[in-house]
Amino acid sequence: MPPTRPPTAAELTQDAGVGQALEQAWQDSLPSNHAPRHEEGGWIYMDLVSGALSIRRAVSGGESLIDLTSPPMVAGAVVVGKFHTHPNPKIEGWHTGPSPGDRHVDALHGVPDLIRAEDGIHFSGPGSRRGGLAGGPGYPP
Amino acid sequence: MTTISPVSPPVRPAIASDEALRIARLEAEKAYRDLSEFRVTVVLEADGWHVDYELKNPNLNGGGPHFVIDPSDGRIVWKRYDQ
Repeated sequence: MPPTRPPTAAELTQDAGVGQALEQAWQDSLPSNHAPRHEEGGWIYMDLVSGALSIRRAVSGGESLIDLTSPPMVAGAVVVGKFHTHPNPKIEGWHTGPSPGDRHVDALHGVPDLIRAEDGIHFSGPGSRRGGLAGGPGYPP
Repeated sequence: MTTISPVSPPVRPAIASDEALRIARLEAEKAYRDLSEFRVTVVLEADGWHVDYELKNPNLNGGGPHFVIDPSDGRIVWKRYDQ
């Protein structure tokens, strides 16, 4: 049965594949070591026929930034979420939640952003893909 | 008869903007390996010098350091490191 609506941010975090992708991105961020520590992330897609979720990873980011502006096209699917890591720890003075910049960009992109930090998963952006499943591949218009 | 009160000259902070920027930069460099992706602004507000590093590219996810510096003695009274 084709999906009729995009998943919510909470539903995305409950998906095993998304959870695995978040944890892999977290490990790839090298959070334990200040020198190579950096942000990782990517995009979450939903197949418009099967409803299956899939992941595409983005190019590695810098210490406190990542470029998630251009999700690759996946045939028959739309972007329903994005994710990235905040690997820098509170004990060093870092804010683990979404930055004002995150909130601004995520509102523009129109899909939930799942942010994996040392204290769990934070959310930014809308509760689900803006406009539902319409609007074509990529971010919603 | 109108009494004219003398106007007090503006009080200059002991710490000027360039010093506030230097204090903020030295502190930021302890945490951020590279500040070249950021634009920095410095503004004297009622509670002190606000020094804010914002990403030059507003389309990126991420963030930089933010400070409030006491203009009388240069102490960092507040800071936040965004990512």
